[in-house]
Amino acid sequence: MRPPTRSVLSGVAAAVLLAAPAACTIKNSGADTGTRAPATGKSGTGSAELADGSGVKVALVPGGAHPYFQPWKAAGAAAKKEYGLGGVTFDETAEWDQQKQDNLLSTLAARGYNAFGVFGVSPTDINTTFEDLRSQGFAVASLASCPAGPTDKADFCLSTDVEVAAYKAARAAIDAMGGKGTLVHLTGNNVDANTQLRIKGVAKAVKETGGKVRLLQTITDVDKDLQTAQKAVSDLLAAKGDRIQGIVTTAYNPAVAAADAVRSSGSAAKVVAIDDDAKILGAIKDGSVAATVVQNPVGQAEVGTWALALLQTKQCAMRHPGQTVDSGSFVVTKANAGTYDAARKARTEQLKKEFADTLLVCE
Amino acid sequence: MRTPVTAPEHVAGEAAGAQRPPRRLPFWVDQRLGLLVLTVALAALFGVLRPAFLDQRLVLFPLLREISTLTVVALAQLAVLSVGHMNLAVGRMAAFGALFAGLGYDRLHLPLQLGLLVCLFAGAVIGGLTGWIIARTGVSSFVVTLAMDFALMGLVSLLYSALTENAAFTTRPSGLLDLRSASLADICVGRVCGSPAVPQMAQFTVLALVGLGFLYTRTRMGRELLLTGANPKAAELSGIPTGRRVILAHSLSGLLAALAGFMAAVSTGTFRASIGDDFMLPSFLGAVLGGTLLTGGVVCVVGALLGTSLVAVIRKGLDLLGVGLESLNIYLGCVLLLALSADRVRAVVSYRKVVRST
Repeated sequence: MRPPTRSVLSGVAAAVLLAAPAACTIKNSGADTGTRAPATGKSGTGSAELADGSGVKVALVPGGAHPYFQPWKAAGAAAKKEYGLGGVTFDETAEWDQQKQDNLLSTLAARGYNAFGVFGVSPTDINTTFEDLRSQGFAVASLASCPAGPTDKADFCLSTDVEVAAYKAARAAIDAMGGKGTLVHLTGNNVDANTQLRIKGVAKAVKETGGKVRLLQTITDVDKDLQTAQKAVSDLLAAKGDRIQGIVTTAYNPAVAAADAVRSSGSAAKVVAIDDDAKILGAIKDGSVAATVVQNPVGQAEVGTWALALLQTKQCAMRHPGQTVDSGSFVVTKANAGTYDAARKARTEQLKKEFADTLLVCE
Repeated sequence: MRTPVTAPEHVAGEAAGAQRPPRRLPFWVDQRLGLLVLTVALAALFGVLRPAFLDQRLVLFPLLREISTLTVVALAQLAVLSVGHMNLAVGRMAAFGALFAGLGYDRLHLPLQLGLLVCLFAGAVIGGLTGWIIARTGVSSFVVTLAMDFALMGLVSLLYSALTENAAFTTRPSGLLDLRSASLADICVGRVCGSPAVPQMAQFTVLALVGLGFLYTRTRMGRELLLTGANPKAAELSGIPTGRRVILAHSLSGLLAALAGFMAAVSTGTFRASIGDDFMLPSFLGAVLGGTLLTGGVVCVVGALLGTSLVAVIRKGLDLLGVGLESLNIYLGCVLLLALSADRVRAVVSYRKVVRST
């Protein structure tokens, strides 16, 4: 639960903003804005136009190095240029350790960064970190992963709904298997709250088949590195390869490993991967991977940076602090491998509009 | 508190071959002084390059909190290094201890202090069991602690999965968050308050340092531990129950690892299975940089604090300079090598000066 003092303060802040129609209005993207540039002005959507972002320095901080976060770097740099921000940095030196990430965030604050987009290493601990940052007057967004449990102490969470994404991946695998057979789920760290959600998502899809599909095994802790994943997949195929009709992966390294192993072994198992690494896209095109579920890291960084700047300049406030927003996940098959990026860009634009229209309350 | 088994006031190398009467070396030859000077000099350098380094709230407080935790981790390793063993399960023992504290807070609603005692007890028991296996079987500590690491990794993960929904105990007893964020500035005598840069959590580290320092320098038990590490056969022939001393050293290591696990949990807010994942390397780094020998028989309790501080200061400084991931560890290694080489040169030159002058 959020401490009562903060709830009261947030509520009072929101009430004051809403009760002052002359000064603060919720500007709809479709509304006539007169002489003002529409929506985000430079972005062309919504009307939460950032007046002056030069005093905002945004730090995008993943939990550690991972290919998933690489698009954040370019998206952050592009956002800095587009919105005229004082600075945007991408720092991946947290090394998947919550204490190191906490130290890194305070170091970045000491370096003058005042808005933070964070992928928390530990979903159960990250709320404490968010509380620390917010108590010092910084705007904070939980990007790509939300805190575990019902409470989010960040201003907002912009992330893939991991349970829904896992469900979509499992559905795609079941469809590729012809709606029956035996499925295996490969995923990441078992003692991670997000992994538990992925397991739930896959279990839900399997349950919906009414027993036609059986979940043979859920293999966890194979996303540490590619070598670990390769070993797990080759052991799996050697031991149970003839009994497996489908493999659904909800973590990056096992996805790459499963794609390689199925191609080289000639297994008939249908693989559903995650993300759109060049290797995975190549595997979709050559048919060794049936589908992949791609996420929207560019949208997370781009929209996250923009919204953080609006919050840090106090130009806008969140209507409901701590709100979770799904950044989108898309099933990509051979049929839409060349066109899915347009859908993803459209989702990013839609996200901006959603923030401008309903999630933010702006002056 | 560098404590060799023979002639406590001398460095071990000199004591080994000395035929001359014992002679106290001047204080500037002391390795601990070198480490202290290096750490302070580097902190000053970073402070000049980035004045934000001296920000008490944003930089020094988290830095000292990290040093506090990692020093206890180094002391956990030092305890077994004193008998010539090593503890590769130091991180898992931390997770094991923290699991019991979390369980106590979550299910039994224990107060903060009682949960800490349960955590320490669990750590001491698992450490003692490890020591007992080593003493009874005679298998090397490397193998036994490696096996214990694997066993605990599975067990802790299994228990968290079975007992919690999100693989962590999120119940926070009263006082935990205060302990996390409180500094000496919250302690005032009259109008004089302490520094906001020093976390109150450092009290555990100070207690551990004083306790181990006392054990190794002032007690017969401590000397027996060191003799067991320096020469187990000689120790046995001298009537020292080496098996029991090995069990004691490992119990102590488990207890300190559990304390570090508790501190790590308090630092981040919850008790989770991944606590201690990254403890093994810092445990050796802090202890060995500080002057403790891997072969046993010589420990330097204060050195563990200084060694840990040196590494943490370099890392924090590089973070503040904005060094990226690609180069961070390269710079960290280079600065560490340069700093320690310079200190070694200083020590050798000083030592020769002393020898020439006598």
